[in-house]
Amino acid sequence: MPDHVQLDPAAEGAADVRIPDVSSGLIDRSIYADPALYRLELQRIFARAWNFMCHETQIPKAGDYFTTSIGEDQVIVVRGDDGEVRVLLNTCRHRGNALCRAELGNTRTFVCSYHGWTYGLDGRLIGIPGKADFYRNEIDQGAWGLAPAAKVDHYKGFYFATLDPQAPSLFDYLGDVGRVGIESMLNYGDVVALDGVQKNVIDCNWKIAVDNLFDWYHVKVSHNSASRVGFLNQAAMMPMTQMVMLGELGHAIGGPMVTREEQDKIDALSDGERIAIDRLPDAERAKVTPTLRRPLRSTGTKAAMGSLGVRATGHPNIFPNLWISSRGMQMSLRLPRGPGRTEIWWFTVMPKAFTAEQRRAAKKFLTHSFGPAGLLEQDDGENWSQSTLASHGVASRRYPHNMQMALGQDEVAVDPAGQKAIETRINEHAQRWTYRCWSEWLRARDWPELMATRSPSPTGRV
Amino acid sequence: MTMACVIGPALQYEVEQFLYREAALLDDRRFGEWLALMADDIHYWMPIRRTVTVENLRLEYADADGMAYFDDDRNDLRMRVEKLQSNSAWSENPPSRTRHFVSNVRILEAKGDEIALEAAIHLYRSRLNDKIDNWVGKRRDRLRRVEDGFRIFERHIFLDQTVVLSTNFSSIF
Repeated sequence: MPDHVQLDPAAEGAADVRIPDVSSGLIDRSIYADPALYRLELQRIFARAWNFMCHETQIPKAGDYFTTSIGEDQVIVVRGDDGEVRVLLNTCRHRGNALCRAELGNTRTFVCSYHGWTYGLDGRLIGIPGKADFYRNEIDQGAWGLAPAAKVDHYKGFYFATLDPQAPSLFDYLGDVGRVGIESMLNYGDVVALDGVQKNVIDCNWKIAVDNLFDWYHVKVSHNSASRVGFLNQAAMMPMTQMVMLGELGHAIGGPMVTREEQDKIDALSDGERIAIDRLPDAERAKVTPTLRRPLRSTGTKAAMGSLGVRATGHPNIFPNLWISSRGMQMSLRLPRGPGRTEIWWFTVMPKAFTAEQRRAAKKFLTHSFGPAGLLEQDDGENWSQSTLASHGVASRRYPHNMQMALGQDEVAVDPAGQKAIETRINEHAQRWTYRCWSEWLRARDWPELMATRSPSPTGRV
Repeated sequence: MTMACVIGPALQYEVEQFLYREAALLDDRRFGEWLALMADDIHYWMPIRRTVTVENLRLEYADADGMAYFDDDRNDLRMRVEKLQSNSAWSENPPSRTRHFVSNVRILEAKGDEIALEAAIHLYRSRLNDKIDNWVGKRRDRLRRVEDGFRIFERHIFLDQTVVLSTNFSSIF
């Protein structure tokens, strides 16, 4: 069995790919269309990064599996008899056939439907039909197990995998900003994944779907109809005050915040009082809560998220493609399926401590916000696909996207613990940061080079 | 007093005609009139369906208390309809052109003034100039007879796609 998936450090043809300079906030449209650039993204971003797989409660028992992908590599996430979660490339070592065609399930073995090569839950090749008769025992069975991901790890139950053995630890990869993102889902303690991952396909470049999660500028216009029919409370959703956190390697958080004054009032409440307030329906809650943002984070969460992080209530993105929604109950993957095609997956987690009524209310809000039928998300996809499409015209392509909002107009604040955040209005800092880091990932030939050349989290004027 | 429902050719005809008229209201973009056919206690639901092996068919649909694509009450449907009627629901401006095909209608049960039925549906959507969606599946409806016809108080939609091969579900099934 190979130790891990072998990666080609000098990606094929990489030298010929033009990686546009995005530092000025002007974004060359080729990055949404160029097939060579897309191939490089698969090699230098997706195959190298820690990619989100699933939550531990999705595969609780031995033999439980969930299939997903790292870039365009299909993988099986499976819990072994030893309880360990492994990530295996979903391709038979004999002729490359997909071993597992189901999205989830429970099994004892993975049997290839082509010639019957059979693998255990740990990826070992445990059966070769005709091994004596046809191979005449001249095959090293131990060498032909399923290729495992280089590293698999979890942060508080959220599993990630990387195909690159040189990748830093998951903890270090996430850094402060990535960890703050995951902690935002753990305010009420342990969570459980709700059954059902919503999946749909949008004809757009994956990065347009990613940068949109930081974009609070589009809400008023794109989601105008959701406000008009009474679903979305723009005042609660869109305060003038916003906070942005920029983490190394491209992680970021952007969106509304709890102000310092509001946080002081939250700090004055006991955790029990905060829970009681959050249990109230929106209209009643609005009369007594220090902030309209949900949830009121606990003292423990504040300790975990930091004095600035606890006030960041926008959307975190764990680079490259894991969006954690601002209420801390949903995660969305933007999975590349070609330069002009993206699968959108929505995972939902809820605190085990939620009452049945809280769970029902939260589920209702989430079902009607996101997913292909979501009153919000319905109106996003076509914008993204038309922006992608307009990256192909030879004339349109000469005109870069403008992502310069608030460029050079804000200051990064640092708290005594060294945590950094920008307090501002609606802006495009997180989008610019995402693209800047994206270009650094593409330029670096391997992890050591990326670690040596990556931008530090900015300080001072941004 | 409304008529009791008895399974037979007359009821079959009446139900089919009702379903065709309902479909035509959607295709003709008479969404307000369509909404009027939904009972106050309507549950409009489309569960998440998944590709699973024969051995794991019990997992084909996500749990009823898990996530779904649609899980709507009447107020949710009202919002969808008002959204379709606004000029700022960008997924429907310009509006899609849809055609709802309803067939294989089987009345499963008729009890008092209530009817349970299953039908095969094909919803075709033509969007902008070059976007086509084809959604095929099964609908399980429950109707309640009222003075002027029927009201739908349950619509459960079981799509034959697992990963939804569409930008969105801005149409009504």
